[in-house]
Amino acid sequence: MLTGLLALTTGAVWMVIRPAMLASYHYNQYVIALTHLFVLGWICSIVMGAMYQLVPVALETKLYSEKLARWQFAFHFVGFIGMVWMFRTWNMKQVGHFGSLLTVGVGLFVFNIACTLRRVPKWNVTATAVTAALCWISLTVLAGLSIATGKCVAESFDGSETNVGVFIGALRPLAGLVSRFDAISAMHAHAHLGGIGLFTMLIVGVSYKLIPMFTLSEVQSQRRAGLSVALLNLGLAGSFVTILLSSPWKLAFALVTITALALYGWELRAILRARKRRTLDWGIRYFLTAVALLIPLSIMAVVLSWPGLQANPFLGQLENLYGFVGLMGVVTLAIIGMLYKIIPFLVWFGVYSKHIGRAQVPALADMYSPRLQMIGYWSFLVALVVISVGILCESEIVVRIGALCFTTCIALLLVNAGKILAHAVRPRITSLVAIRPLKPIFT
Amino acid sequence: MNPPAILNEQIVLDALRQVIDPEIGCNIVDLGLVYGTAITGAKVTVQMTLTTPGCPMGESIAQGVQWALLGIEAVEDAAVEIVWDPPWNQGMMTEAAKLQLGLM
Repeated sequence: MLTGLLALTTGAVWMVIRPAMLASYHYNQYVIALTHLFVLGWICSIVMGAMYQLVPVALETKLYSEKLARWQFAFHFVGFIGMVWMFRTWNMKQVGHFGSLLTVGVGLFVFNIACTLRRVPKWNVTATAVTAALCWISLTVLAGLSIATGKCVAESFDGSETNVGVFIGALRPLAGLVSRFDAISAMHAHAHLGGIGLFTMLIVGVSYKLIPMFTLSEVQSQRRAGLSVALLNLGLAGSFVTILLSSPWKLAFALVTITALALYGWELRAILRARKRRTLDWGIRYFLTAVALLIPLSIMAVVLSWPGLQANPFLGQLENLYGFVGLMGVVTLAIIGMLYKIIPFLVWFGVYSKHIGRAQVPALADMYSPRLQMIGYWSFLVALVVISVGILCESEIVVRIGALCFTTCIALLLVNAGKILAHAVRPRITSLVAIRPLKPIFT
Repeated sequence: MNPPAILNEQIVLDALRQVIDPEIGCNIVDLGLVYGTAITGAKVTVQMTLTTPGCPMGESIAQGVQWALLGIEAVEDAAVEIVWDPPWNQGMMTEAAKLQLGLM
């Protein structure tokens, strides 16, 4: 979690320092480095850490191995930092090396969670979505490594007979295959695998468990929920192929994905209408706003996948906006919302669960400032709108203003995270108030 | 030496009001999670439910109930029975809890 928050803060400050990254077309080393900082450093660090904690809770089982999780973190940490740095200097050979380290970590993650899923006593739509996400993250990493291979094998191959030389030679057919695809299409296909296959799949699947839990409700139609996950898989599989081939059929699969998300929205609405807890706290509001942002994102997806669309500077910026709203709007906002539920729960569970009934302990909402949370929510939305305008208008100054607002929101999140974590250092435990005195028996 | 004490339901419920559902921030009695109490000599058995079957706090809350019961002077043994029938609903909450959660 701390790694994720650090990466998010670094990325936000980087946007303030270098707003041109978002105000210009995205196929350059800085945007790719920033994207991987957010995707791997912020989103994946949090998502993977949360999955180790939440999959056992949500699916009522135990994590297969904590030791594997610690090893995965080591590979992930070194791998993503190296990748971001090497993307920034555009050293694709080293990107491949650090990417391989990251892949080892992803392999451990997938193995660990897959073994955990085998222990699930009762299979449900959440388990199906998590399984699908494991498949898609594996493909995302393989696609990314293949793209890096395609870019650096030619320059690395020197025909030597050493083990390394033979290995690089063996990769040449793969590099040849990758180079047959348009580089930008391959990058977009890779991005969709991760963005929809891992992040959106988890948002959809896990929320079918967590939103009912937090709002005291239940899934209203298992069939609808299952269909939304199935269609999301179908839409992504088709989108990956059609984006990679720059096929006009990508619109059809974009519509399949949008149908899946519409079903998800429909089910979420039904869950919320049936909830027993009327007031929605700010954590849930963050999450629901993220889900609502899927609407403009879907509209942009339709526009960008329209057959026969001619490339022009505005469409290039619209692609930037699509990626920005997807990662920083939908996924980041959803994660922040869930973090406001997960971090207090984990700290409370570790610090206070053994004292409940013996001492007065705080409720989860008492562990942080809802006021800061609310200000953070509005500053995030303002930042999202301002940066979006800056991207579309190619205005560095507007992007910088928005990035400053975004940094403010992150700072507020950090303050609240600090408040929550402070409970682990200095617990707020007070004695129980006196229980009504017992009457003596007079005989 | 202290005289022996009378144990009644009110005393048990007062003790259980010290146990909160941390996610909701309300005590389990006013939340309507406590379905019944049985006092047999110095043993108290509490029949209760949770807001949702998958509640990750369930184990902690049940343990807290046991601690709260054993904290009553006259109680020597305490048992907690979690039941799911009838399922909890907001109609089981007291007016104070509804006010606290913004339902009124």
